[in-house]
Amino acid sequence: MDGILLGGIYITIAIAFSLTYGVMHIIDFAVGEWIMFGAFAGYYLNKVTGIDPFLLLPVVFILFAMIGYLIQPVIHRVLSGNKGNPLLMGLVFTFGLAIMFQGIALTVFGFYSNSTPSVFSEGSFFFEKFGFSLTISSIRLAGLIYALAITAALHYLLKKTNFGLGVRALALNRDSAGLMGVNGKQTASLVYGLYVGVSAMTGVLIGCILSVSAQMGTEYTIFAFFVVVLAGMGYLAGVPWAALLLGMVQSIFLIYFNPGHTLLAVFAILYIILLISPRGLFGRGV
Amino acid sequence: MKDKSIRWGLPILLVLIALPAVVQDTFFLRVITEAIMWIGLALAFDVLAGYTGYLNFGHGAFFGLGAYTTAILMMQAHWPFALALPMGGILAGVGALVAGLPTLRLKGAYFAIATWALSRAVQQMALIMDITGGPDGMRLPSFLNPQFFYYLMLAIVAVTFALLWYLLECSPFGLKLKAIREDDQGAMALGLNPTKLKMQAFILSAVPTGVLGGVYAYWITFIDPASTLGDLVSDQALVMVVFGGMGTLIGPVIGALLIFAFKTLFWAYLSDFQLLYLIILGAVIALSVVFIPNGLWGTLRGARSNRKDEAKKAGSSAAKLSQSEGE
Repeated sequence: MDGILLGGIYITIAIAFSLTYGVMHIIDFAVGEWIMFGAFAGYYLNKVTGIDPFLLLPVVFILFAMIGYLIQPVIHRVLSGNKGNPLLMGLVFTFGLAIMFQGIALTVFGFYSNSTPSVFSEGSFFFEKFGFSLTISSIRLAGLIYALAITAALHYLLKKTNFGLGVRALALNRDSAGLMGVNGKQTASLVYGLYVGVSAMTGVLIGCILSVSAQMGTEYTIFAFFVVVLAGMGYLAGVPWAALLLGMVQSIFLIYFNPGHTLLAVFAILYIILLISPRGLFGRGV
Repeated sequence: MKDKSIRWGLPILLVLIALPAVVQDTFFLRVITEAIMWIGLALAFDVLAGYTGYLNFGHGAFFGLGAYTTAILMMQAHWPFALALPMGGILAGVGALVAGLPTLRLKGAYFAIATWALSRAVQQMALIMDITGGPDGMRLPSFLNPQFFYYLMLAIVAVTFALLWYLLECSPFGLKLKAIREDDQGAMALGLNPTKLKMQAFILSAVPTGVLGGVYAYWITFIDPASTLGDLVSDQALVMVVFGGMGTLIGPVIGALLIFAFKTLFWAYLSDFQLLYLIILGAVIALSVVFIPNGLWGTLRGARSNRKDEAKKAGSSAAKLSQSEGE
């Protein structure tokens, strides 16, 4: 059951992540860092205002969507440069951002030696009180409902609106979409903003359900990547199933085996799947 | 280009060989030894990143693999260092083969995260296994001879540089890799086998890294998952290559020297602000991507060749002018 809930969270991260890849053709290394910043934003906003984190979700979303919208043009500039290898440089750029963000977070929020990210020495980093006075399991249920809601909303946005049509057109063919009157630059900025916002929101949720630390980002970057590769790159419909599978595997390992082996097990699964079917579980990837 | 390289390379090598005779200060020699090591790591990183167009964020994993292999063989199996060191390199090569098999089929961006995840997995493995000493790391017998390590490091890096120079700048292999970097499909249409070539490049990048890791382990005499398998090795190699100039062999050398000098000064004077180093590292990467995408060396060389082009153009137009006047 925990696996399904955890998977639900991965769905939201991975859908937004894979959407960004579809439009911008780069992988954002900073995805985990956005989640981490979102989690901290939720943590501090909750502390200062005392409002329940679930009610803070829209605030965090708008805040981070704006940040993402403003940062995207820089990435666009790198990607559309004519020197060197733009795609490679875009990747390097987001990697640089990720390192920088992590450094900033460690400086601002505190640093606990290079231990594994699952060890959180400070009890205050846990959300202990909630306005709803829910038990942990119902928080997780709320998390699942949130994940379903976000997935449904993104689905609606992509399939039923003009904006979504533009996004899908851009993902298919950038140049043709431009000729058909899709403003590539602005759409990409909006998608990036959307993705950063959703990631940060999910971060708040992770902060509620699990914990917050300056080093948590890395783990989620890897999991977001795993989900996207398992599903097949750019094959959005496969994302939920891959995310659920990953969530199940992770919680099975957490409960029945050594938690330290989780990453290894997930990596082994990924390795085998890539060997057998390089285009993801469903063979529908790019 | 070729004789030029010998003209420059030979004196530098001679100076470096003579250096320990002049420099008696052990600390200083240690710093230079480490600088040479970073040059080697940056060079190896550039084989895959600059020439083939694949970012290997698991560079540190191969470094650690070499270090751990050497350490385990020396401590558990009691092999002599001279035998354990090549094994470190071989195992790193085998690691590249195993890791490259599924991941090199992926697109560039996915390869980058896959290797990154791999390095995490390797780190985790070192943390939980018994043979590696877990989080406590391993201690090696100390062999306190700074000059020995200086010459060993120098020899390995010099051989690596010469080999890479020959393979990438003088032989068709480098051109083939560049063809793959520019256009995978096009290279295939020309009869190249991209997967095989990428694999060769990956191994070519991993083996020197593993050997350097082995030397590092014996030199520092202490390794643990955080220092040898952590992100910092990959991150720094990336900074050096990007800042110095991708796709060249001189660029990483310059980048490695500058970044390492900065790092040494930083840790010497500002060691209280270690976290700031991470921020600066990230900022240097991001800023050099935006402002000098060709790196320091590429930008300098680009400016020089531009001037040459202009001079040539000016010369040819002058010649044309005189010709037309003659008619």
